[in-house]
Order: sequence, then structure tokens, then C-alpha cells
Amino acid sequence: MRAGLLRTSLLPGLTLANPVLSASGCYNHGVEGARFGDVKRLGALVTKTVTPRPRAGNPPPRLWETSAGMLNSIGLENPGVERFLAEEMPRALELGPPVILNVGGESLEEFEQVTERVQDCGAVALEVNLSCPNVQGGQLPFATSPAACEEVVGRVRRVSRLPFFVKLSPNTHLVADVARAAASAGADGLTLINTLHGRGIDWRRRRPCLAEGSGGLSGPAIKPVALHFVALVRAAVRLPILGVGGIATAEDVCEFLVAGASAVQVGTAHFLDPLCGVHIVEELEELLVAEGESIDNLSSLEQ
Amino acid sequence: MQTRLHKVLRVEGLTGASYVLWLEGPFSAEIAPGQFAMLRTGSDWPVLLPRPFSYFDVSAAGTAASFFGKAIGPGTRALAAVRVGDEVSVSGPLGGGFPAPADGEPEPVCIAGGVGLAPFLLWTKQRATTVLYGGANREAIVAMESFPGQTTFHVATDDGSLGFHGNVLELYRSLVAAGEVDQRAPVYCCGPDPMMEAVAADCAERGVACRVSLETYMACGYGVCNGCSVAVEPAERFGGKPWARCCIHGPVFDAAELKW
Repeated sequence: MRAGLLRTSLLPGLTLANPVLSASGCYNHGVEGARFGDVKRLGALVTKTVTPRPRAGNPPPRLWETSAGMLNSIGLENPGVERFLAEEMPRALELGPPVILNVGGESLEEFEQVTERVQDCGAVALEVNLSCPNVQGGQLPFATSPAACEEVVGRVRRVSRLPFFVKLSPNTHLVADVARAAASAGADGLTLINTLHGRGIDWRRRRPCLAEGSGGLSGPAIKPVALHFVALVRAAVRLPILGVGGIATAEDVCEFLVAGASAVQVGTAHFLDPLCGVHIVEELEELLVAEGESIDNLSSLEQ
Repeated sequence: MQTRLHKVLRVEGLTGASYVLWLEGPFSAEIAPGQFAMLRTGSDWPVLLPRPFSYFDVSAAGTAASFFGKAIGPGTRALAAVRVGDEVSVSGPLGGGFPAPADGEPEPVCIAGGVGLAPFLLWTKQRATTVLYGGANREAIVAMESFPGQTTFHVATDDGSLGFHGNVLELYRSLVAAGEVDQRAPVYCCGPDPMMEAVAADCAERGVACRVSLETYMACGYGVCNGCSVAVEPAERFGGKPWARCCIHGPVFDAAELKW
């Protein structure tokens, strides 16, 4: 194995050991996965969304399995930023990989407030979650309107010394426009895609399978959708992209890099295998060596 | 905790679509009654997510372990259809088990419904226990022969085809009334939700401690998906939230903490 084969330049001043990250909301803060083995080899840990105030989340049932995927409606359950910083962030930092902290809110003020509060918590970057489909009635106010996106990203930019990625939604025909708005307002990178709106129906009981009605679809079923939006946005905006959606193998990683992602996130696959991300890193190294490939060859973004 | 592939040693098909799946070790020899694992077949798994199963039996030194389930959907059917030598992926042990009684406390009485019998075999291997076991009919009453001789079984069937004619709560009440079960004994319960809710309500009314082992939809089983929420009285143990994660805060809960 060649040392540094997987090294990934994500942003100016931010180079990761490899391009395989955990996806927000699918690995909590890394502590639970670390009970199964060493998670140091992950390129970075992306934490579950934290909001200014605690959120209880949505009522159960919150999960429904679908063909090659699953629906969730968690609703950004989290202990709020103060408790998160005091109790959970120190444990995440101890695990080894750089931490990218995911922040969320329901208003311009909330995004600004939480961003300001986490500047000195030890994260190498932030991920700003504009695209959770399970809050605010699934309206996605900041991820479906270029103007609203530009405004919130501008507010985050003004208070953030940390670089940040903006996590976008596939649930709009304006994905490229929203991405351009995020870029022009000062985002350092983009994360694509959050989950797709979806619904399960229990027809015998005349009701939806999730308590909230609809939820977000993830898993292998959405990989082609994610690849589509990564490529679409790659062509529209010259910012690094974190690709996410149905990634479970090293082959999947290579597909996303060729589509235009600089790195990827592993989400639902971590539910099947607590060390999936680490296993993908190992597989990816073997695959690139076997094929005489490199991260730089696959990644189309010129630095 | 670990995730690994285990060879299938045998599958015992039982009546009522239930089965016991024996897998080759190594398993932890320290698995507590009530702990569970996430299972899927090593190949040709027909669904996405693994399925939660209580550990049924673990042999000395963890050289083998068994899981007791019922073939209901595509996942549990695929696990019932494995052949000797196939591999099954097991992630565990997960969650917490039933606690040992405090000094001076009477021995708990176990109340099981259907495949809710699963967590109690490990318990009865540690302590002489009375188990009340209910099912719809005689086909649903299985696997009792796996239990050690020190176990006292009382069976109830809804249709009266075996044992007491009625549900397991009615059986419990009649045994308490007859003095055959200590009325102060804590109750450990596992079965369908309506049964556990009814048993918990009965215990609460009489001031008897009751612990229940819950089963919910789960994606991960180890605390990261936040999908297996159960409604609880907010407590510091649950981070002050109105929901607990069944997988890591449970699956065994003090029934008094739950909002049914």
C-alpha cells in the first residue's frame, strides 16, 4: 500500500487522509460505531445536526423500510448546542478523525446563532443543513429558493471563520440555482444530496407508515439520483462537493468521484455495518492499487 | 460488540412458523438475558436492513449461540431458510438485559407471549424461575423443551387448545389468586405490545415492579439512527427527552418509565 494514496485535498488548508466520511444523522457522533472497532481511518466524522435549542424530534414510527432503501422521519432530534458542546463534541474529537460539525435551524437567526456558537469547538469545518425534509412540514424553505438560500448562507458566512459546506436538497427543480446562490453567498463547498421526500402507505389501516406521514428516502435506491445531482451541480458551480446517497462500497466512491465529488459520505450503509466507512477506506485503497488509479485521476475538480 | 459472519450449525423448524437458528461461535460468553443482535444472511439478503433478535441460548464459552424467531416477512423468512454451512451476519451484543433482583427481593416471574419467550432461556439457566407462556393456540407454544429442568412453566392459549384457556394476564391473575405465584414478585415481560401494556397496567395497579423488553422498528440497533424511539417520561437517563432509543436505552425498560 502506498502511503498517502487516498489523501484528499478538500479545501485550501483542509486535506483529509481519505475521501470517505460519515454522513450526518447516520452515525451520531461516531462514539457508537467506535464500540465495534477503530474508526480512526474515516476521512472525517460528520456529526448529527445540532440546533440552537434542544429538539425532541418526531413521534414514532420514524422508520419504514422500502425497496433498496428506507424512509426516516427523525425530525432533527438533538440535545441543543450547549449540551452538545459540553457532552458530545469532546467525545467525538477523541475518536481521531477530523470532525465536520453539522448545524441546523429553522430561521436566519437560528442558523446565525448556532454557527457563531460552534466556531471554537474544535471542528475543522461546518456543514450547514438547509435540507432536512422532516421539519417545518417538509417545506425546505432555505433549500428550494435561491434567494432564501443566498440570504441564509450570507448570514452564516458573516459569522463563520470556519469553512463550511452547505447541504442541499434534491427536492426541487432548482438544485443548480440554489447551488449557485450558495456559492455566490460564500459557501466553501456543497453536500449533495439530502434525502428525497417519500411516503409509505399501510392501505389496510388507511394510514401512512410513518407517524408524520412523509419522510426522507435514503439507501441504495437513491444512488442514481445523487450521482445525477452531483454531476449537475459540478457543471454549474466550481466548489468542492461532498457526494452522499446510497454509498456502500469502494466502487460507489469511485463513481461519485468521477461524477464530480471531491469526497463522499456513507449514510444508511452504516446501519447495516457499524464499520462500513472504515471497510470502504480499506477496499478503496486495494481497488486503486489494483487498477493503477489515484484519487486525483478520478476527481475532476481542478484545485 | 462486533459484526461478524457465523456459520449455520442447524435450523430447528417449529410449529407456528417459528424456528431456532444455531450459529457457530465465537460469541461473547457474557451475554445477558434480554440483550439482542442484528441479523442478516451472509448472502442473498432480500431486504436492506438487518433484523433484531434476542439471544436465545449461548453455549458455554460462547462456542455457539441460538436465536428464536418467527418467519413473518422476507427477512425473517430468509433467516429461517438458511442451510447448514451458510453464513449469517451477527452484530452484537446490543442493548441491556434484565437486571438481577436486588437482595431480599422475591425472584421475578417471567411472562412471555409468542416469540417473546426468547429472552427468558438465558435467564432460566441462571436462576430457577416460573415462566408464564401465552400464545394464540398450541402451535404457538414451542421451544419449552430447550429450557432447563429448574424452570416451572404455566401455559395459556387463547383458544384453550393447551393449558389455561385465556390470555397470559388472566393466567397470571389466577396464579396470584391461588397463591402459586408470589403476588409481590417483580414481573419480567416480553411479548406483543398490547399484552405488555396490559401486564404493566396490572402491575402498576398492584404496586408490583414490572420490566418489559420492547421490540420496535430498528434500522441500526446500536444507537446511531435515532429511529427506534419509544415514548418515555423524560428523565436524565434519556437525556431529558420524551423519547428513548429502544436499542441502547432498552430494549428492557422499567414499565413505569414508559408512556404506552
